[in-house]
Amino acid sequence: MARILRHYGTLFGMVAIVVVFWVLLPDTFMTARNWLNITQQLSMLTVVAVAMTVVMVIGDFDLSVGSMASLAGVFAAVLFTLGWPVWAAVVAALALGLLGGVINGVLVSMIGILPFVATLATLTMYSGAAFIVSGGKTIFGRDIPQSFGDFAKSGLPLGTLADKPIVLPWLTVLALGIAALIAVVLELTTYGRRLYAIGGNAEAARLAGVKVAFLRLTAYAFTGVGAAAAGLMYASRVASANPTQGEGLMLNAIAAVFLGMTVTRHGQPRVLATLAGVLVLGVMDNGLTQLKVDSYVRQVLVGLIILLAVSISALGRRAILRR
Amino acid sequence: MPELVLNGLVKTFGQTRALSGAALSLRGGEVLALMGENGAGKSTLIRILAGLEVPDAGTILLDGTPLGLTTPAEAEAAGLRFLHQEMQIVPGLSVAENMHLARPYPSRYGLVRWRALAASAMAALDRLGVTHIDPRRDMGALGPGDQMLARIAATLVETKGSEPWAYVMDEPTAALTGAEAQRLFAAIETLKAAGKAILYVSHRMDEVLRLSDRVTVLRDGAHVSTLPIAQTSRDQIIRDMTGRDFSNLFPPVAAPVTETPVLTVQDLAAGPLQGVSFTLAAGEVLGIAGLSGSGRNVLLRALIGAVPREGTVVLNGQSPGATPAEGWAAGLAYVPRERRAEGLMLQRPLAETIALPHLAALSQTGFVKARKIAAMVRHFAAEVRLKAEGGHQPVAELSGGNQQKILFARALAGAAKVLLLDEPTRGVDVGAKFDIYATIRALAAKGAGVVMVSSDLPELIGLCDRIAILHQGRLKRIIPAAGLTEAALLEHCYEKEA
Repeated sequence: MARILRHYGTLFGMVAIVVVFWVLLPDTFMTARNWLNITQQLSMLTVVAVAMTVVMVIGDFDLSVGSMASLAGVFAAVLFTLGWPVWAAVVAALALGLLGGVINGVLVSMIGILPFVATLATLTMYSGAAFIVSGGKTIFGRDIPQSFGDFAKSGLPLGTLADKPIVLPWLTVLALGIAALIAVVLELTTYGRRLYAIGGNAEAARLAGVKVAFLRLTAYAFTGVGAAAAGLMYASRVASANPTQGEGLMLNAIAAVFLGMTVTRHGQPRVLATLAGVLVLGVMDNGLTQLKVDSYVRQVLVGLIILLAVSISALGRRAILRR
Repeated sequence: MPELVLNGLVKTFGQTRALSGAALSLRGGEVLALMGENGAGKSTLIRILAGLEVPDAGTILLDGTPLGLTTPAEAEAAGLRFLHQEMQIVPGLSVAENMHLARPYPSRYGLVRWRALAASAMAALDRLGVTHIDPRRDMGALGPGDQMLARIAATLVETKGSEPWAYVMDEPTAALTGAEAQRLFAAIETLKAAGKAILYVSHRMDEVLRLSDRVTVLRDGAHVSTLPIAQTSRDQIIRDMTGRDFSNLFPPVAAPVTETPVLTVQDLAAGPLQGVSFTLAAGEVLGIAGLSGSGRNVLLRALIGAVPREGTVVLNGQSPGATPAEGWAAGLAYVPRERRAEGLMLQRPLAETIALPHLAALSQTGFVKARKIAAMVRHFAAEVRLKAEGGHQPVAELSGGNQQKILFARALAGAAKVLLLDEPTRGVDVGAKFDIYATIRALAAKGAGVVMVSSDLPELIGLCDRIAILHQGRLKRIIPAAGLTEAALLEHCYEKEA
């Protein structure tokens, strides 16, 4: 019983959550439109969480993703105001994310600072930089090119329902594409398997010929680029950019990976599991908002769900360890 | 003298029956050796004594009255103390503080009286006959042997509460050098003379024969025999443990050593090592013997590139590089000394540990070939006679001997030219040792060179072609192993130290 709960606890919980909202919101929750809306709302978190999965695979984490998302968004917006074409500003913002990630990687793997300390310091630095770049203001209106904002508003037409077109948002498509890419890298490539080996036992991996320091560095590059991509997606969605737009992404991303880890067989982070974690958080948020639950109460409930899932997993693991 | 009697113990975990009729009796003033292969039920029995497991059936009597051992606190109250191979110490705190971790520090007005603390620790060390440890030193700076002695002495710190009368020592010498082990044995004699009982669990037959008064053997969770040491023998104990006859533990040397050098080391320096030079021939097994501090532990780490080194190393005419990654790629294979910390990914499927150094060879354009890995793991698991459900089984679920075989399967898988083996049979039972020795000799017969560091002298003599003696960082001489006695080898190791 404990074993079943441990392995499928989060999945059972998720189904239960969906059923509860379905019953409480019979007209609006279980509709294609609402679900497409949820996936769009979740696309930014998805990208950050799957990128976070890469560093958590090696047993580290990256606290700077939220402020990197903010920084990349305002950086691109400022480049827009300087007349850069959309593609060039996007590439530049992603490159900035790569740079930020590499800085984290160097601090952690070359200099040997604990990930918590290193990425906490860069969190504040990137956040400060976002304010400096934007002058502390929200950049919006005519400064943002039409085509950039339109990306988030359109999508892949799936047909019509009740005479209204059903569209799979490009943001959702993009997030799923990035998730699929990272899933393939982690699960099927030599590179990914070596990252899992580092997470399993870094010293053993080093003695078995894995270039631990270099691979660790590259893992942070994923979170940097992922965070920057999420920042751009958010800026596109609201057709503006402000220096605090990435707030909340980091904690939710780590929470999603932890939720996912409660499902996997050996308790390790995996992309598909992270997606389940993201979905739990997103469905909770969507359903509770529709039920007009106060946003502070919402926070308490989401925290409780995370604790519940992780507790079940920890108790299950203890039951196995006692043997 | 107190007597603790366990009888008819049964314990099952899910499908597996760990104990089915285990028994032992422990008396004050004697050393009782508990022997058995990995998986025989020794660990479960010890966990029951420690109050960590409750048996499904069976009786536990202390001086004839039933004893409840359902929590560690009850075990402590019954006067039992436990010393495990994995040390529980707090580096950074002094020896004296480590010895007082579980009890109140001497204090006045809530402030620690440091001098009284040191004196209390000193008195406890004294009772054990240990005088060379300064209780004010950092515990982490002590060698494993002294740490062990300090932890035994900690149980002798004068407190109210219960006085311990029985000690359970689980592989206490696994991490110790010969000299450190001698000190431990002296301490055990002191305890015994003071009327304490010692339950001594070890795979090292010579220690057991030397130290113990009686030997209890378990096999498959059941009691096989309990005999006074005078009425049994090494061969008898092994027969009882395995149900098989291992009169020839060491396989015969199959092929003569060739003249072709496969590894040449010249003027190697690393850590305490200085000017170490030797040549290893294809098909040769070269043993490395030496005391703690001789550089024995650094040599192989330097060769694989885990620690920086100076000097020339030539493997088949080329340098094997300065990092483990280059070393494996050049044809070295390494079985590290601390298999859990340095070798295995305990929570992961065992196939991942075996495949790890060979991933590049098992991939195409960066993608791993899962089927190729599975086939390789199956092949080499069979070659080392690994007992496991399959490649998906997590390493942590296997016994120590089988965990070690995983590292051997991994070392074999790359068709290495030279194998570097650090304490290859540490904490491994007789059956697994037998298989590992056969594997090492088979490799040599196929033309691989083997460098093997071991603190197990009979193993060095029985398995190696030549033995190199390290003394204070220098390679003193290389002697043929044939015809060597343990005493003679030990004398070589100690030379000039007196």
